[in-house]
Amino acid sequence: MVKDGDFIAIFNNIHRVMKAEKILKEKRLSMLLIPAPRALKSDCGLAIRYAETDRNAIEELLREADLAPEEIYRKDGEAFTRIDAPSE
Amino acid sequence: MACPLPVVTVKRALEESPGEALKVLLDGGAPRENVTRFALNRGFSVDEAEMDGGYAILISGAAGETLAKKRQKSGETVMLVASDRLGDGPEELGRLLLKNFINTLVEVAEAPDRILFVNTGVLMATEGSEVLEALETLGNHGVEIASCGVCLDFFNCKDKLRAGTVTNMFTIVESMLKAGSVIRV
Repeated sequence: MVKDGDFIAIFNNIHRVMKAEKILKEKRLSMLLIPAPRALKSDCGLAIRYAETDRNAIEELLREADLAPEEIYRKDGEAFTRIDAPSE
Repeated sequence: MACPLPVVTVKRALEESPGEALKVLLDGGAPRENVTRFALNRGFSVDEAEMDGGYAILISGAAGETLAKKRQKSGETVMLVASDRLGDGPEELGRLLLKNFINTLVEVAEAPDRILFVNTGVLMATEGSEVLEALETLGNHGVEIASCGVCLDFFNCKDKLRAGTVTNMFTIVESMLKAGSVIRV
């Protein structure tokens, strides 16, 4: 489900994930709602997966809609690297 | 043959003649990788030789016999997906849960032997479905995926099937009766 180099956005709230999926779909951005990888903690067990090519468009749209993800990771080999700055 | 048909065909052949070696002629690329991975995952030995226009893959080993015996003993696990939603309650939540359920099947070690889609469940396997990637992966792991032909016809999407094959009620009824366990989703 998650390939090397894919980005994973975690929201920790089912309503926020659903809203995020809806607005990204409306803009026809390429992403997929997936079960959050076990290695990552997510309260609602869901995450949004996207490729690097769509990253800017997706993250900007989410910020504009006040739906910025709680955490963003990139799959690097077998591990996930957190790539957003941890919140203060 | 388009993926995952090669894997499904190989799986059937191995189950029909347990213990016998099987030679498969394949193009390079995805079919070769998928068939090889499938056979190795199931404990077979795989030898391959390059030939004109493709590869000859020899699958052998005792794993087939063990697998067939295990099957006979415990039977197949058949999953019947009879809706495009998981559970009652809000429609939006039900759709999300079924999507997440199917995507999660890819991540767990024990996959069912067969997934049958009926009623609005067939929409999971047609164009525009958000679980096509998961179904393709499951197919490549040897899971047989089939959708009810009457249902596809009812929704006018016979030509929009994008995962697995078309099946009929005879096959659905038989495989449910023969199964060791049926999981109704």
